[in-house]
Amino acid sequence: MPVKDAAAAPPFRRILVANRGEIALRIVRAAHELGMEAVAVYSDADAMAAHVRAADLAIRLGPAPPAESYLRIDAIVAAAVASGAEAVHPGYGFLSERAAFALAVEEAGLVFVGPPPAVIAALGDKLAARRIARLADVPHVPGTLEAVSVDRPDQLEAVIAAAAGVGFPLLVKAAAGGGGRGIRRVVAPDELPAALIAGSREAAASFGDGSVYLEREIMPARHVEVQLLGDATGQVIALGERDCSTQRRHQKLIEEAPAPGLAETERRRLHAMAVRLGVAAGLQNAATVEFLCDRDGSFWFLEVNTRLQVEHPVTELVSGLDLVVEQFRLAAGAPLSPRVLAAADRAARPTSHAIEVRISAEDPARVFAPAPGQITRWVMPAGPGIRVDTAVEAGDRIPAEYDPLICKLIVHAADRPTALARLRRALDETEIGGIQTTLPFHRAMLAEPGFIDTSALATTWVEAHWDGPASRARAVRVASLAAGLAELGGAASDGPGGFGGSGAPVASAAGTTIGAGMVRQGSDDAITVDSGPGWRSAGRAVAVDRWPR
Amino acid sequence: MPDGDIDARAVRVGVAASARLEGDPAITVAPPPDASTHLPQDGDPGPAFPFVDGIATDVRLERFGEVRARLVESAAGPAGTDLRTDLQLGPVRVDPGHGTRLREVVVDGWRIEVEVEFERRAVLRARARRGAGVASHGGPVEVRAIIPGRVVAVSVVVGDSVEAGQQILVVEAMKMQNELRAPREGAVERVGVAVGDTIEVGDLLVVIH
Repeated sequence: MPVKDAAAAPPFRRILVANRGEIALRIVRAAHELGMEAVAVYSDADAMAAHVRAADLAIRLGPAPPAESYLRIDAIVAAAVASGAEAVHPGYGFLSERAAFALAVEEAGLVFVGPPPAVIAALGDKLAARRIARLADVPHVPGTLEAVSVDRPDQLEAVIAAAAGVGFPLLVKAAAGGGGRGIRRVVAPDELPAALIAGSREAAASFGDGSVYLEREIMPARHVEVQLLGDATGQVIALGERDCSTQRRHQKLIEEAPAPGLAETERRRLHAMAVRLGVAAGLQNAATVEFLCDRDGSFWFLEVNTRLQVEHPVTELVSGLDLVVEQFRLAAGAPLSPRVLAAADRAARPTSHAIEVRISAEDPARVFAPAPGQITRWVMPAGPGIRVDTAVEAGDRIPAEYDPLICKLIVHAADRPTALARLRRALDETEIGGIQTTLPFHRAMLAEPGFIDTSALATTWVEAHWDGPASRARAVRVASLAAGLAELGGAASDGPGGFGGSGAPVASAAGTTIGAGMVRQGSDDAITVDSGPGWRSAGRAVAVDRWPR
Repeated sequence: MPDGDIDARAVRVGVAASARLEGDPAITVAPPPDASTHLPQDGDPGPAFPFVDGIATDVRLERFGEVRARLVESAAGPAGTDLRTDLQLGPVRVDPGHGTRLREVVVDGWRIEVEVEFERRAVLRARARRGAGVASHGGPVEVRAIIPGRVVAVSVVVGDSVEAGQQILVVEAMKMQNELRAPREGAVERVGVAVGDTIEVGDLLVVIH
């Protein structure tokens, strides 16, 4: 048993984690650090998963499809009651923003780790959230204010008529949506009916509610969001903002804290808007207010996520807090702690920088299509300032039923240039085999001048700058040469240099190259970014002075 | 070119058929015709110039155990420099159907499934394929699953005529809806799946004649 004292008493004795993957493991870890027991739930696809192994007790929910497992409110509440858990943490995705789930947990006499059900319902309804924003004097993105059910011909006609007023291009969004799912971009009026139906189908599949609405597309825009915490007394504070502009089709790919390039006054204004909205909504526990920032520097309220965000670690690293720990304390009725209040005071004057990349089982060469499969090699980076949140390892099968996110790689450093250099180094150390991931994309982005100098940060930037085929073509050439040379080398696995290294033992050949090279210069702690020649942009590839002649 | 002109040691390397994208090239890698003339000078462990597509190339592979390796290309970077690329070589698997050797090579995070075979054999196979190609011209096209997932919509039935690019199926994988489109125009000869079916990579979905 962990050592306890009165001040650090665990908020609960036992909690249940209603999720899977890296976030479930992350919550189990926080629970254990707080001295609480953790109960996991799992589907048949996850019986051997890391979150199950880490938990003190695990309860099966059902078959792999989410609707038969992680989306089953009845089964999860029953598991919580049967296991003697006192609180339920929903993580992100799945049931995390379902008011009905939070209500069912409370009705079973347990504590839901998140905002109250009524607040989730009000803010989870994207249209109601926009009305709250208006009340709180926070400008929202223009669009329709009523939800549309595409099964109703009269409503379908009405929304098509309203589209002209919103203006094209516009976005069809799921009223119950979040996480970028169920969004369709419509450029011209004749595309609208098909987009409404497709968007509604995806919304129904993802959220169990096919209602959609229209929103004007603000472009180019940065995506900036504010982390809020609130307690039962009605006090709400902002823990700083994150920039999540590097997106593809509304899926965040890279997130950082703080948002680069904002002045302290802009930060204060942004944080104040988010807090106003949180107070107006009666927010408790944790939530994130998302804004679009247009070219003129104006912030437009987008939506509120009434849950822990995927990208919460960047805020943790910059604020020095553990957000999941704070969530548990707040859920147990504690007021915002002095630690949290001090971090909120510092939030507009950040003194360090954190960046997260989402490594997903997706193929960047095939328009980021899902690429599930079995991982054969899994080597994660290490060393100063590196955090890896993942729940997979070599040998694991990535199931096709769930979100393709398999790993979050987060770096922390004194400032943004140092964090970028550290991230580049960390990506160089990362080795994944057996499945295709978004790793090549991240390597390429970190070599882009527009990403490095932040001048071009915008949600549209990825589509304009990512050239997957060119990046892959170079890899194909290198892979073919390497495989060919390895083949000519005969029993190549015995070591020495394959065909090309004939006559030279591999150790000395490699040693000569490294010794004579210009790859590593300076002292260990001098992290300098080589912004020089283009050949550096090839990720792990480095050019060195040719060996002695 | 008569087979006798092909170096018996030469290998053809390219992206494996299952992973190949349009435009992926295959290259030929061979030892120099007379390796002895390229032996390093006194104390110089310099490269031995393998022939890549028939051209002597300053490139070599350094191995660091079973998996890790580094390709060093001397001509690829600015003058006087080497371009070094770290990579991982997977184990070799023999494809029993074709006699080719397959291996995964990971470069810059790209997972490239590579196929290696002797150049002589590749030439013979290409010749055989050309022969067969004439007979099968205009034959049925099998649309197979390239991602695993669940079928959420089937837009065609047997007998339908479809245009190239027309949506034929919607597959849900990892919460995303993926539309599958007809590779060419024709008549739907067979539909192998129904709504709700779980599919794996390679499953036959639709045959278009």
